[in-house]
Amino acid sequence: MLRIEKVSKDLGDFVLRDVSLEVGSGEYLVIIGPTGSGKTILMETVAGISSPDEGRIFLDGREITREVPRNRKVCMVYQDFMLFPHLSVKENIAFGLRVRKAATDEIEERVNEASELLGISHLHHRMPETLSGGEKQRVSIARAIVMEPKVLLLDEPLSALDGVTREKLRRELKRIHEVYGTTIIHVTHNFEEVFSLADKVAVMSRGEIVQVGTPEDIFRRPRCEMIANFVGVENIFRGVASKSRGLVEIEVEGLKIASATSWNGDEDGKWGADQWRVRAIREGKKGSEVFASVRSEDILISKAPLESSARNSFEGRVVEISNGGTMVKVWVDVGIPFMVMLTRRGYEEMDLAVGDHVYLTFKATAVHVF
Amino acid sequence: MVLSRSPPETFLATLRSEEIQFAIGLSLKTSIASTVLCILVAVPAAYALARYDFPGKSLVSAILDMPLSLPPLVAGIGLLLFFGASMPGKELAEFGLVFVFTPAGIVVAQFFVNVPFMLRIMRSTFEGISPRYEHVAKTLGCTDAQAILRVTLPMASNGLLAGSVITWSKGIGEFGAVLMLAGATRMRTETLPISLFLNMSCGRLDEAISAATILILVSVVSLCVFEWRFGGLRHF
Repeated sequence: MLRIEKVSKDLGDFVLRDVSLEVGSGEYLVIIGPTGSGKTILMETVAGISSPDEGRIFLDGREITREVPRNRKVCMVYQDFMLFPHLSVKENIAFGLRVRKAATDEIEERVNEASELLGISHLHHRMPETLSGGEKQRVSIARAIVMEPKVLLLDEPLSALDGVTREKLRRELKRIHEVYGTTIIHVTHNFEEVFSLADKVAVMSRGEIVQVGTPEDIFRRPRCEMIANFVGVENIFRGVASKSRGLVEIEVEGLKIASATSWNGDEDGKWGADQWRVRAIREGKKGSEVFASVRSEDILISKAPLESSARNSFEGRVVEISNGGTMVKVWVDVGIPFMVMLTRRGYEEMDLAVGDHVYLTFKATAVHVF
Repeated sequence: MVLSRSPPETFLATLRSEEIQFAIGLSLKTSIASTVLCILVAVPAAYALARYDFPGKSLVSAILDMPLSLPPLVAGIGLLLFFGASMPGKELAEFGLVFVFTPAGIVVAQFFVNVPFMLRIMRSTFEGISPRYEHVAKTLGCTDAQAILRVTLPMASNGLLAGSVITWSKGIGEFGAVLMLAGATRMRTETLPISLFLNMSCGRLDEAISAATILILVSVVSLCVFEWRFGGLRHF
């Protein structure tokens, strides 16, 4: 278990203020926060690259506050890979083991194991500069996991990658976590990574930990404006996926939301709701639990049922209206709370009031399942 | 102009003369020695300047850069006064470290004039390497020194080569500071530029041109190395 006690650090532009955090063994903690909120220094403090001005850090009961990085068994992966350009892929992965003077057979074995897990065995003889972003990040993750660290720190590991690669690597992180059972701290400003990876989430803002909880806690009861703003544009639900005409339907508290996600998986056919179910069962969740989100501006609100091809239409009542100037947020309870964003003009034309009976309509393609 | 002045046969004949051979030998020895010294001093100093902040850093850096803008002749007279007339200079001489009018003085003069160049190049090289490489290396089990030796220095090898080539070729061509500190004694402190000067002043044009030709070749070769290896000097 990693325990951070009241750690403070002042680096001028970046600060940490009285940060306390506990990460259980084998836990996947995601730290989320805007750029400049001190996430990277917190990671570097745990890794021993910078030492805190105040506070203490314990790993498995042993204090490591002033311990040098090499004796901590904490490895770090940066957003921009930091592969050693003068070494081949294989030499990069074996770097730490070589420094520790591990036996040649052992190095060979561990490097091959990690490379296979990440699908980079065929790249061993290449130089880092010839790799794509996704390949580079796989190599840098492999370089860290061959050390079998007690804690693996990932500093925005997916931020420098394009959409498809990011999605794939995200699943691989999940798998690595399952295979190695390493404690992982993953820093990000991407909310999807929170839902798909985190056991626990910590929200950081201006050098402080603002909130710690399960992903759902954080998004349902945000204590921080940043999260609240995010929830403001995105309606996020946890539901149970089932198959309906080849597509995924999500049941959220009795409400059935149709999505355009294919049941049999995405383009490469590897990851569909079947996999989610497998994952869910493996993780001991009931049914195939998934998350679904609908952007608030994709939802149409009307006082009468709409005649449209959109697959999702729900009846509900306006519970709250927040008039923010150019945009107006309307909360509608249709059994679960939905937030709809209207332009000021649209809002005035509709003449809505709290308690009004309304209909919400949105297309299956507006439903994002993850 | 210089190259077309005398036929190749004369050049080859003077190359075989004892004096020119001595000058070539002395130039090579002193320039290599001063380049090695520059590397030994400038690499750690440049690393410190690139990585650490300390009070008075800008002052230190300005002092280190000063010889860049100082005429070598002035630097030379400064060195001469230091080693010849000051207390520390005299004490060094008592230990057998005599730099005034000796071949060792050539090395010192070249070193003093060239070390800022080496420092410049190495500093910008180190500044171009993210300290995060070392951070990663340390979490992978390196000590501070191992991180530098296994990661930063290999990554800086291009800059080191560039710096060494330019320091060496500038060292071979150094005249003003060498003239002041080591003097111009035939067959004793006679490097190629000194040889050019001595032969020119007593009218032995063929020898002078021979020395000049070699110096031109050195600069062409080092420029070629630069263009071929680093795509020019503009990176620094």
